Amino acid sequence: MTNEEKYTKAFMQAFDIDAENVRTLEFQAIPAWDSVGHMGLVAALEEAFDIMLEPDDIVDMSSFARGKELLAKYGITF
Amino acid sequence: MIDFTSTNIRLWSRLGSCGAFGQAALSLPETKEKTVILTADVCNFSGLDRFRASYPDRVYNVGIAEQNMIGIAAGMAREGFTPFATTYAAFATMRCADQIKLCMGYMNLPVKLVGLSAGFSVGILGPTHMSLEDVAFMRALPNVVILSPADCTATVKAALAAAQLAAPVYLRLTGSMNNPIIYKEDFEFEVGKAIELRAGDDIAIIATGSMVLHALKAAELLEQEGLFAEVLDMHTVTPLDMEAVEKACAKNLIVTVEEHSVIGGMGGAVAEALALKPSRPPHLLLGARGAYPHAGDYPFLLEYSGLTAPQIAGRIFETYKELF
Repeated sequence: MTNEEKYTKAFMQAFDIDAENVRTLEFQAIPAWDSVGHMGLVAALEEAFDIMLEPDDIVDMSSFARGKELLAKYGITF
Repeated sequence: MIDFTSTNIRLWSRLGSCGAFGQAALSLPETKEKTVILTADVCNFSGLDRFRASYPDRVYNVGIAEQNMIGIAAGMAREGFTPFATTYAAFATMRCADQIKLCMGYMNLPVKLVGLSAGFSVGILGPTHMSLEDVAFMRALPNVVILSPADCTATVKAALAAAQLAAPVYLRLTGSMNNPIIYKEDFEFEVGKAIELRAGDDIAIIATGSMVLHALKAAELLEQEGLFAEVLDMHTVTPLDMEAVEKACAKNLIVTVEEHSVIGGMGGAVAEALALKPSRPPHLLLGARGAYPHAGDYPFLLEYSGLTAPQIAGRIFETYKELF
């Protein structure tokens, strides 16, 4: 599985949505991406990429696109 | 239905014990149809936003009126509901002492009282929010079951178990957000049955709540010094697992560790249980001692109280060397 696929799957798993709805997603744009959902996304990403996200990055992860930028800090490229 | 997947366990850990309770609450109506949750103005802090969205007619925010909350919860329990009542542990217990004594201790009504952020975890707000005497008070009451889970996985298990009990329950939640994981997968949580997490022949460390993790780390440090410690997760303070305590008497030293006063807590329960035993090992009680510290963050307050793993290991090592 590519990093792109793993990343997309983490969002789908965390918010129970289809891949087509993922790419433009932003924090609180859907009911499932609330504060609990946000931590669910963090958990899913940490599981998928075997990383531990820093608190500042967790707060900063405000959209699907922004998340990709932040993961670059952990050596994950797309 | 709650799934104990690795992702969920990581999520609960990230949320901390309060958030984990909120996640467990979501599944409670599946097994206890008449579950209701009362809160004293800490709905969000109790992790209950999703529960409120899913079951808006089952959440009662009584405002900052904890004593009334106990009375309302008791009335609901009397009418056949399964009421959980949540607020900071310091306010849930000490502020409501009379209501708890009468409704839970005397009337034996099955209120599930959830004490959030027990111990030092919100000590940054000062001694008003430190809860170091709650177990001492709750232990003195008849009928009340006291659960003290070690991590967020155990918090979920304890919340589910509490709902099934016909008794009044005090669910004492310790630790903060990013609560380290001890139970990495589903496990058997039996009320009143301690869990051996590590074997060792020299010392029995009996820990509860957040201190289980520190006890495990302390046991690792002791092993480097040639001392081998068993670690027990005493997740139920009342009723105490007497079989586990009796078994611990086979070691040279019993140590109890808790994020609570050394007076009246789990350590006190163990000491009382062994008081009449003619032959038993010495018992080192570790916990908070003396005056209330000034406000400080959680790691600082644990260190102030000697409750970090190296400090626990140091105290045990010194005591063992003095005695043997």
